[in-house]
Amino acid sequence: MTSTHIIIALSIFVITYGMIISEKINRTTIAVFGATILLLFKVLTQEQAIENIDFNTIGLLIGMMIIVSILRKTGAFEYLAIKIAKKVKGDPWKIIVLFSVFTAVASALLDNVTTILLIIPITLVITDTLEVSPIPFIFPLILVSNIGGTATLIGDPPNIMIGGAAGLGFVDFIVNLAPVIIIIFVVVTFVFKLKYKKKMAVSQEKRDRIMELNEKLAIKDLPLLKKGIFVLSLTIIGFMLHQYLHFESATVALIGAALYLLISKADTEEILLEIEWPTIFFFIALFVLVGGLKEVGVINFLAEKLLSLTQGNMFFLVIFVLWGSAIISSFLDNIPFVATMIPLITSIAVMSSIDITPLWWALSLGACLGGNGTLVGASANVIAVGMLDKHGYKLSFIDFFKTGFPIMLLSILLSTVYLIIMYL
Amino acid sequence: MRNIINKAEVTEHTIKLQQLGAKVTVINSTLCYVNFNLSGLILQYVYNVNFNGNYFLERIRPYPLAIQEISSERDVVKIIDMDIHKFKNAMKSSHIDMFIAMAKQINSTFTTFEDTFLNYNIPGEKVEKIYKKIMALELEIEMIREKAKSVEAIEKSELNDKNS
Repeated sequence: MTSTHIIIALSIFVITYGMIISEKINRTTIAVFGATILLLFKVLTQEQAIENIDFNTIGLLIGMMIIVSILRKTGAFEYLAIKIAKKVKGDPWKIIVLFSVFTAVASALLDNVTTILLIIPITLVITDTLEVSPIPFIFPLILVSNIGGTATLIGDPPNIMIGGAAGLGFVDFIVNLAPVIIIIFVVVTFVFKLKYKKKMAVSQEKRDRIMELNEKLAIKDLPLLKKGIFVLSLTIIGFMLHQYLHFESATVALIGAALYLLISKADTEEILLEIEWPTIFFFIALFVLVGGLKEVGVINFLAEKLLSLTQGNMFFLVIFVLWGSAIISSFLDNIPFVATMIPLITSIAVMSSIDITPLWWALSLGACLGGNGTLVGASANVIAVGMLDKHGYKLSFIDFFKTGFPIMLLSILLSTVYLIIMYL
Repeated sequence: MRNIINKAEVTEHTIKLQQLGAKVTVINSTLCYVNFNLSGLILQYVYNVNFNGNYFLERIRPYPLAIQEISSERDVVKIIDMDIHKFKNAMKSSHIDMFIAMAKQINSTFTTFEDTFLNYNIPGEKVEKIYKKIMALELEIEMIREKAKSVEAIEKSELNDKNS
């Protein structure tokens, strides 16, 4: 590798990430362009580029997207949501709490964007029926979807990437992250109780309208739903056992997806159209871009600097990674950030021979929870706020920041205490 | 991102329509807009190609008219071609502007008619009066058509004259 290669790789990386942050050009377009420029300048050969793609992450994302695309057609989410709203007799605050629990659990098993895509429409139907502003309902759901997703391997794309690179499985994530996530969830719900509960007065007449909703009408395809519950249960069991059975998590997701496609008799072409292909190509391009930095030695250089800055002290490293990830992920897309941090942490392990497992948890907590800091911190935030906007309700960057950022800081503070107690 | 927001919006509409008692089927499809400029007369069509292989064709300019549901893409082009041909012929007439104005008026009259009958309680004799007028108008159009020479026949005779 020549110094020209280093300059080219760094320049392409910085310009591409700058363009992704500026959002002037579609993020997938610019990432793929940057990755191909690396090939053009022979920083990477095509074989090296392919070797740098984490196909476990890609396979897991595609597999889960297929399962969710079919499951979405059943109406199961809407059924459960209406059932919950009726169970609490249309009480707005109780709806918010139970929908939050529902969203956090769903987000742990599906990715955050999918969860938001499923929960926001039915929430809007509920708030329309109650004739109340949807903001006090949707804002907590956005934040808990990011919180819930942090608890598992499959809940948030950064975790999928970390799991794939670090060899950490579904159970590892649950055992190490779910306890602190439950604590954070309870605290955040309490914060929202203080903020919104007193404003939640709705007349009995409007509550009665909720009782008139018929959850059975929401079920679009009962046989498909039964098959979906069977496949999803099987897939989750597969995730719990994949480490013991020596399967990659992507293998489990793809087997589940293939099985659901087969037994559902869904139109495969139509289901494959539903996959978020721009996201998949974005991931592929990022792996190649970071691969370029690895190949020219920039990642090793940064790892050395980080080790010398923290003098190899695990306490400082954990605090640095946790808080650094959280602040950066509040303002920037956490996926490119995590894509860069993964090889950096791996290099630290190689150079210092210390057990870096706490750093993976710090990265996961920081990158996933950091998304709650601002409106642009996570895709789920942007989508939910976009939906609110379409309904004429404005949740501005500042409004989001005023509540989201302190909650994010509180979550990271709780995570710091947890990591210190558990690992340091 | 736009695609995801649209999907969420469709889901919301679906839930609301289901609660009204509808069975909603959501099908992926492609919507095509077709524009022609015939010397200043804009003809615009829209057709939808869905996954079930059906095509819904509609003319939206100069005045809206649902054409039909057809089963082949080739037929879409054929029907549009025939329609364009008819308009090209009609443009030779000095009455084209009047014809388009009348067609627009018929659409507008239908909207008023629907609004009146769906939103007001109309006495029976008034209903009958309007019905008779519509039938009379229809009859008059039929009579005019019977007495007039078809464009197809005119074209054939023009072709024969040219050949001879």
